[in-house]
Amino acid sequence: MSVEEERGIEQRGALLHAARLVAGERGLDEVLDELLGEAMRLLRADAADCYLLDPARRVLRCAAARGFADPLVGFVYPADRGVAALALERGGPVAVETYGEAVHELPHAAYRDFDRVLAAPVSWGGEVRGVLGAGLRREGGRTFEPGALDLLEALAGLASLALAGEERSDERARQARIGAALGRIAALLSEPLSAAQTLDAAARAAADALGGEFAAVLLPEAGRLVVAGAHRVPRGLRRREPPAVLVEAAADGRSVAARRVREDARFADGWRRAGFEALLAVPVDGGGRGLLAVFFADEREFGRDDLEVAGLVARAARAAILRDRAFESERIARALSQQLARSGNALEPELDPVAVLAQVAEQARALLGADAASVALLEGDELVLGAASGPDLEGVVGTRAPSTGWLGGDAVQLRAPVSSADVSADVLHGGADAVLERGHRAYAAAPLGGREGVVRGVLAVYAAEPRAWREEEIEALAALAGNASVALANAELYRRLALEHAQSSAILANVADGIVAVDRDGRVVVWNAAAERITGVPASEALGRTPFEVLRRELESGQGGTNRLVPIMRGEEEVWLSLSEAVMREPSGEVAGRIFAFRDISAERVLERMKSDFVSTVSHELRTPLTSIYGFAETLLRSDIGFSDDERQTFLGYIASESERLTRIVDALLDVARLDAGTLEVQPVPIDLRTFLSEAVDASSQPALGNGGRFVLDLDEEVPEVRADPEKLRQVVDQLLENAVKYSPAGSVVRVEARARPEAVEVTVEDEGSGIDASQAERIFDKFYRGDETQPGTGLGLFIAQGLVSAMGGRIWVRSEEGGGSRFTFSLPVANEAEAA
Amino acid sequence: MNGDAQARTKVLVIDDEAPIRLLCRVNLEAERMEVIEASDGPAGLEAAQAGLPDVILLDVMMPGLDGWQVAELLLGDERTRSIPIVFLTARAELRDRARGLDLGGVDYVTKPFNPIDLAPLVRGLLDRVARGEREELRQEKLAELRASMSR
Repeated sequence: MSVEEERGIEQRGALLHAARLVAGERGLDEVLDELLGEAMRLLRADAADCYLLDPARRVLRCAAARGFADPLVGFVYPADRGVAALALERGGPVAVETYGEAVHELPHAAYRDFDRVLAAPVSWGGEVRGVLGAGLRREGGRTFEPGALDLLEALAGLASLALAGEERSDERARQARIGAALGRIAALLSEPLSAAQTLDAAARAAADALGGEFAAVLLPEAGRLVVAGAHRVPRGLRRREPPAVLVEAAADGRSVAARRVREDARFADGWRRAGFEALLAVPVDGGGRGLLAVFFADEREFGRDDLEVAGLVARAARAAILRDRAFESERIARALSQQLARSGNALEPELDPVAVLAQVAEQARALLGADAASVALLEGDELVLGAASGPDLEGVVGTRAPSTGWLGGDAVQLRAPVSSADVSADVLHGGADAVLERGHRAYAAAPLGGREGVVRGVLAVYAAEPRAWREEEIEALAALAGNASVALANAELYRRLALEHAQSSAILANVADGIVAVDRDGRVVVWNAAAERITGVPASEALGRTPFEVLRRELESGQGGTNRLVPIMRGEEEVWLSLSEAVMREPSGEVAGRIFAFRDISAERVLERMKSDFVSTVSHELRTPLTSIYGFAETLLRSDIGFSDDERQTFLGYIASESERLTRIVDALLDVARLDAGTLEVQPVPIDLRTFLSEAVDASSQPALGNGGRFVLDLDEEVPEVRADPEKLRQVVDQLLENAVKYSPAGSVVRVEARARPEAVEVTVEDEGSGIDASQAERIFDKFYRGDETQPGTGLGLFIAQGLVSAMGGRIWVRSEEGGGSRFTFSLPVANEAEAA
Repeated sequence: MNGDAQARTKVLVIDDEAPIRLLCRVNLEAERMEVIEASDGPAGLEAAQAGLPDVILLDVMMPGLDGWQVAELLLGDERTRSIPIVFLTARAELRDRARGLDLGGVDYVTKPFNPIDLAPLVRGLLDRVARGEREELRQEKLAELRASMSR
């Protein structure tokens, strides 16, 4: 807080205290003494005194004194001496800089050392009743501050009230009210209020003091008399042009009293019916001549007392106004800068250009306390109103005006703020501004800058009444326009980026490939939905970390590249990525970031591996019988060994059986090809499963059960005939029996069951093997799947069996517990009666 | 070629396919070698420890313990470590053959093979081993494989 400001607050505090003193119930001498104390504090005076005039004897008697060594109270001297004489003579305050020179005859030796002295008359009832004085001693070398005389005058006004209260005890109650009114002024003044609020307070104090309905302080502004402060003034009256009688009275410094306004020809119709009957206006000088007007609800005679009271309030108000004016510029500047700072903060987070415009209009209105504000943007050679703030402005947004038009156009053309205190004087403004047309009279505008000094639009504020725009206000408006330009540019940039971002996000979200982008530090900045799905890591977890931190696997390679195979873990599951990488570089060649695109090729990879395994498995399966065939043939061809007939028979037997084995493998491959192509044909006939299964088991018994195990048949007594292709059915049963034996320990039992169900017969082959776990059971009918990869086999047996059963209209499934053997069951449809017969 | 018992080469054939064991037996016995057979891994290990053959012909694809595992166990066992192993493999991929050599096998035979070649192979191998060139032989075979892999 500046020294000046502190001083202002201190002064108001002292005035408040003084006003309360007067309003209190204390004796006159005591009140005057206290007033002197306040005067010394307020004026930083070395001493102060108060003399009361005895008009009959033309002498001054000291009623109170402070700051003197000698007891001055009761001291009497002729009224034509000293500075007091000057004040009495002038009827107004006096400031003397060299006391010794100005005063030829010292009233009292106590005044000998004084250099600078102020004096203000204390008046009541139209007569001067005394003098309030304050002085600075020569030795201090100090001078009074500017405005000190006004303050002393204000205190003299309070002393007058105290005096009046003392003299007119019958009016004590009224005086108390007046005092309270003044106290209110002082109380309001003790807060850092604006000049407008001070004037409002003065109006209220006047209304209270005189018992008026409402009151106003009218001050000249832009050549007109306008309501600068008001208490309960109806809106209609506030906006009405003051009648000539008041304008002239203000200009001449005269009072106006109207007992019956209704019948008073001096007032125009609008004023006669404005809700009041009587009016009292007294001159108030607040940096220009104005009036303090009190309006009364009823007809009223005005006496001298009323004029006196009104005059006192006017004087108190004047002091307050003058003092506040001194601080007003600074206060406005500070308020504006605070408001600007606030608007800067408020504008910053606003990233929607339309919202920014609305915010700017709002801020401009608040900043200057204007009635309305608007932001118009240039479109071609027109200004299009983009946002407006203020009451009754429906429909103005979107209106257009030529950019070469009046005032707003000037701001564009001049690239500088423009203002008008009252546009009604200007005939050219018609149609230039939609907001102005909604009953606004004062206008100020600043250009909104764009890039490279291009003007983009106009920020304008409006006032309903003529208003002289202060220089600070115009500067603040221009500053806000500057802020707004930046905010607008940011918002537009952001919107463009947001749009691009939204577009790329939409693309990223919808591509099937995982897309991951990292910045120059290798931290993830993009992690799209597919990346989430493929890696199992949500974007929220990945962003800001490096891919290695997220996946425990480096994605980056030294030089980029396409379709690298990279395994990662998705939870417990290994996932293979086919990864492409693009390196983004700064113009300088520095790496600015990397983009990784990847697909989950685990499934493809599994299939690839199965295919590759299949090839090697089939190769193995073919090579094994071939080895026997080729080997025994070569062996038989040896001429160096003489083989017995038995040996020859055995060798040839192997050649034959291994050739059959080879044929079976080739047949299986053909079956798979047919199943894949959907060209497998079945020729179903009715089959008696009891007979069929008994034969199958019998035939299988010999070669299959080389390990000492046995088959047990468990067939229902009544098994209806089924529809099946006997060859294909045999293939299925053989496959299941072979598997059962293959995966069973030596000497174990393989059960074959047949159960009649409605519409179907279920055949089950159950072994006592190690069983299969749930994950194997899911895949066991898959092509190429082999439960135990060390076992010979193509991984096609069960795949083919499933295909065959399905082709015959049945289905196949497995139930198993690991270690508890397996139950493979297939169902076949029952043959209908006609077929069975 | 003396028919003395102590001079006869003993070959252990481990293969789950009976015809192939028979094939090996017939053709090796014709060359006056002694053949013992095992139809799976565990039986093969037992036979190797008990019979201490001069050479083991080992099939790779067997249920239960496969050839790779049997080889590791044999080479990890004090008693059988020095017995040279020849893999009999139907797996055509070069990497499968390389794996056998990497494990410590000295040679491999790819099915189908001409059984008449078995005896010369065993004999030649034993000559090299007798000259202390077992490791060299293995390296030669590996080099051959690498040469064909890089083609």
